[in-house]
Amino acid sequence: MALIEVSSPHAAPAAPTRHVLRILLRSPMGAIGAAMLLVGVVFAVAAPLIAPYDPYETVHVTIDDIYQQPSAAHLLGTDDAGKDVLSGLIYGARVSLLVGFSAAFIALLIGGVVGIVAGYRGGRIGSALMRITDFFLVIPDLALQIVIVAIAGQSLTNIILVIGALGWTTTARLVRSQTLSVRERKFVLRARAIGAGDWHILRRHILPQVLPLMLANMVLVISLAILAESTLAFIGLGDPTVISWGQMLNFAFGRGAVSAGAWWALLTPGLAIVWVVLGTTLLGTTLEEVLNPRLKRHHLEKDRSMAIPPRSAAEVALAAPARDPDGPILQVRDLAIEFESPGGPLRAVDGVSFDLRRGETIGLVGESGSGKTTAMLGMMRLLAPGGRLVGGQVFLDGEDLMTLPDAELRAVRWSRISVVFQGAMNALNPVRTVGDQVAEAIRVHEPEVGADGARVRAEDLLERVGIGRQRFDDHAHAYSGGMRQRAMIALALACRPDVIVADEPTTALDVMVQAQIMELLASLGREMGMGTILVTHDLGVVASSCDRVLVMYGGRIAEEGPTSRLFSDPQHPYAQLLLASFPDLAAPDRELRGIPGTPPRLDAMPPGCSFAPRCPAAFDRCRVERPGEYPVGEGRRAACFLLDPQGANRG
Amino acid sequence: MKGRGAYLASRVGWALLTIFVVITFNFLLFRILPGDPARNVSKDPRLTPATVAALTERFGLDKPVLINTESGNPFDSQYFIYLGSLTRADLGISYAFRDRSVGEMLGGALVNTLWLILPAQILSIILGMLLGLLAAWRRGHALDLSALIFSLLMWSLPTFFLGIVLLFAGSAWFGLPTAGRITVGADFGSYWEELADIGRHLLMPTLAFTLVLLGEYMLIMRSSVIEVFSEDYILTAKAKGLTTLQIIRDHALRNAMLPMVTLIAINLGFTVSGAIQIESVFSWPGIGSLTVSAVRDRDYPVLQGAFLLLAIAVVIANLAADLVYGWLDPRVSEA
Repeated sequence: MALIEVSSPHAAPAAPTRHVLRILLRSPMGAIGAAMLLVGVVFAVAAPLIAPYDPYETVHVTIDDIYQQPSAAHLLGTDDAGKDVLSGLIYGARVSLLVGFSAAFIALLIGGVVGIVAGYRGGRIGSALMRITDFFLVIPDLALQIVIVAIAGQSLTNIILVIGALGWTTTARLVRSQTLSVRERKFVLRARAIGAGDWHILRRHILPQVLPLMLANMVLVISLAILAESTLAFIGLGDPTVISWGQMLNFAFGRGAVSAGAWWALLTPGLAIVWVVLGTTLLGTTLEEVLNPRLKRHHLEKDRSMAIPPRSAAEVALAAPARDPDGPILQVRDLAIEFESPGGPLRAVDGVSFDLRRGETIGLVGESGSGKTTAMLGMMRLLAPGGRLVGGQVFLDGEDLMTLPDAELRAVRWSRISVVFQGAMNALNPVRTVGDQVAEAIRVHEPEVGADGARVRAEDLLERVGIGRQRFDDHAHAYSGGMRQRAMIALALACRPDVIVADEPTTALDVMVQAQIMELLASLGREMGMGTILVTHDLGVVASSCDRVLVMYGGRIAEEGPTSRLFSDPQHPYAQLLLASFPDLAAPDRELRGIPGTPPRLDAMPPGCSFAPRCPAAFDRCRVERPGEYPVGEGRRAACFLLDPQGANRG
Repeated sequence: MKGRGAYLASRVGWALLTIFVVITFNFLLFRILPGDPARNVSKDPRLTPATVAALTERFGLDKPVLINTESGNPFDSQYFIYLGSLTRADLGISYAFRDRSVGEMLGGALVNTLWLILPAQILSIILGMLLGLLAAWRRGHALDLSALIFSLLMWSLPTFFLGIVLLFAGSAWFGLPTAGRITVGADFGSYWEELADIGRHLLMPTLAFTLVLLGEYMLIMRSSVIEVFSEDYILTAKAKGLTTLQIIRDHALRNAMLPMVTLIAINLGFTVSGAIQIESVFSWPGIGSLTVSAVRDRDYPVLQGAFLLLAIAVVIANLAADLVYGWLDPRVSEA
């Protein structure tokens, strides 16, 4: 259900380094983190210049020098040995950052190699490497660090090596999954197809894609390494010859700072650690977020879609068509939908209107990105987050779904209008049995049926769609693709709705199964007297099963008409080209033509007719003005200036 | 179900294999590294000649390390003697407390550590799931933002430092004890008074531990819930006319807990490191304190035993998490 089509990345995208830097500095979190870290680095580099005293110098101290309160001579007081705390803090930055950067570099090296090899080679070597990674993931880090440093000796080198050699597991896992996904991308497959060697592919294609994420991860590993070093030092396993924040805390805590109330000796080293680690973490998470954006929106966010001002009851009554048992069950009027984007709202559906009668099947066709699915979801107020209804009315049996309160809308959903979703694998909950998901719909909308009754009815439905009642308690993963789609149909039929929207119910299925599913849907629809809207790319399916066709382009209805007449004599240039691009069994000799160009992107909609840039018959008026919908024979209309009865055609 | 049995067997097998590798690793660690405690045993001035002799005998220090190629019996080596003593739960005797067995010391410490870990774990898992769920649901709102900031702070705060701050605050403002498990030399009127005293000692360490774990769990739960909330089956549930509460309860919670279970398991190593730090700050007589004091005293048998115990505990807890995962997610165990 890609709503905004992006041109497919055939070429290897350039490493987005500069782009990343720009975003990073613009994000407050990233900028603050970078600044905090920079302060630490400056202190570490310029320590001898900044620090008021040299903490490595041996001085003669008396009892009065110990734990002195902050004063002009000692801005942060003195420690258990009478030394200046501030100077210790400044020099301590050297150890923290040295350990942090060196250990993270080692971890990155090991994790990067393990991850790339495991991801790129896969197979036995790959799984063996991942088993080793799993093993190290299980071993408690700190305990092992303690054991090794205790035995091998408390030197800074040992500490760096130990932290680095134990800190690579997360990097390895991350790099492996990134390598796996890059390995299957088009530009890598193509490079391999033209005979590029492994080394070339790794260097030119994999590494540029993996490296940025690795570096972002390294920043986080630095923060972990700094924490690990300070923990070891606090426990008494630091290098005794250098001053570090953890060690300062260890001495203060172990030598009476608590009882002496010397908060300056206790709190400041801890805050210094927090400062640097927080800075690194902010920087690292921002980098990861930029390189690998997580999901921002989800389906359960508060519904802010209704921008249409609520109408008064009188207005609604006025606008509502009279309830007519023989009239259309569903009437859509001027439906308009927009998506939020950084550059302002983008109109995905722009004034779509149509009727659906009981027992009728209409086909909604058009290229990807023409707004078919969006219009259908919008009609039921099920838009993806970020999508907003900005206008229109949807009357289901005379009731306007757009103004219905939430509770009433919930009651209407599924009991009166249901959906066969595209991709049943994802549309069914993987951890609940398929049968129970069907029964659930019945339990919710017809509580009087009872749990047992709902189960029996759900079993009947599974039987009905050709799955068999004995599969009730299986999960979706145990079903075949065709069976999942059948289950989805059973689910859609559960409450005997008036309208079913079938959104590409047969994509990704093989041709035989496709035909079976379509036949099933059509026969059940006729039998139950439901109106069906079939959203599809497949004109063959439309020809065989739909009474009427709606052709959509650029968020609008380009042409509407009864299937046989529209197919034999399309009026809109787009409909003509669309039909010409589809093979016709009756006329196998006919030349097949594709439509030149690509559908317009939402953020680059042409000002006039959205099809004008690709239209062979476009003239000046098409490029500045949007065409209205003109009747073109009985029950037919098309949105094209060529068909404007008053139009001085060709402007 | 056959699939379920196979899954169970494979997870148990993997855990046993890991434990075996941990044992071997642990053995080699203490033999290979430059400090080599076992071979240097005779140089340790704190040991009596009798102890040296006993240790040489017990560890077979005069024998080859891995496999005995000289004598007829290849198993007559330090490694197999070590394995043999492990099967008798014999972890040696402490250098520092010469007459105490390591196994006995570890057993007592383990009970104390569990007293510390379990309440904090349970509390932080429940709170973390709840707050993570709320933060995800109300993404971008005040609650979500404060949850994120809290998690970030907890992540950046060294556990031992948080412990020190709470210890300081607890003793200065609430008069709470600063060290140990129980007030030494106190005369308790009843069992309940004794329990209350232990509770007072436990309060701040538990709080510190809970806060550290909470930040982590909340973050995991939040991103996991956001992930699940964006799945297609949530849209299906919404289209079916379910209320938000029904969707969360019946369609989202179980799925969102899957990554939680895995990450709780992976984070058990992290739990151990937290316990070591908090125990050493509050002088809580658990495995962590024991480890730290063993480091200070260079008490290698205790160190080796503690590491083995911690590693095996984490492996077993991971196994438990795998089994819970298999129970929650039918795809894993039935496929």
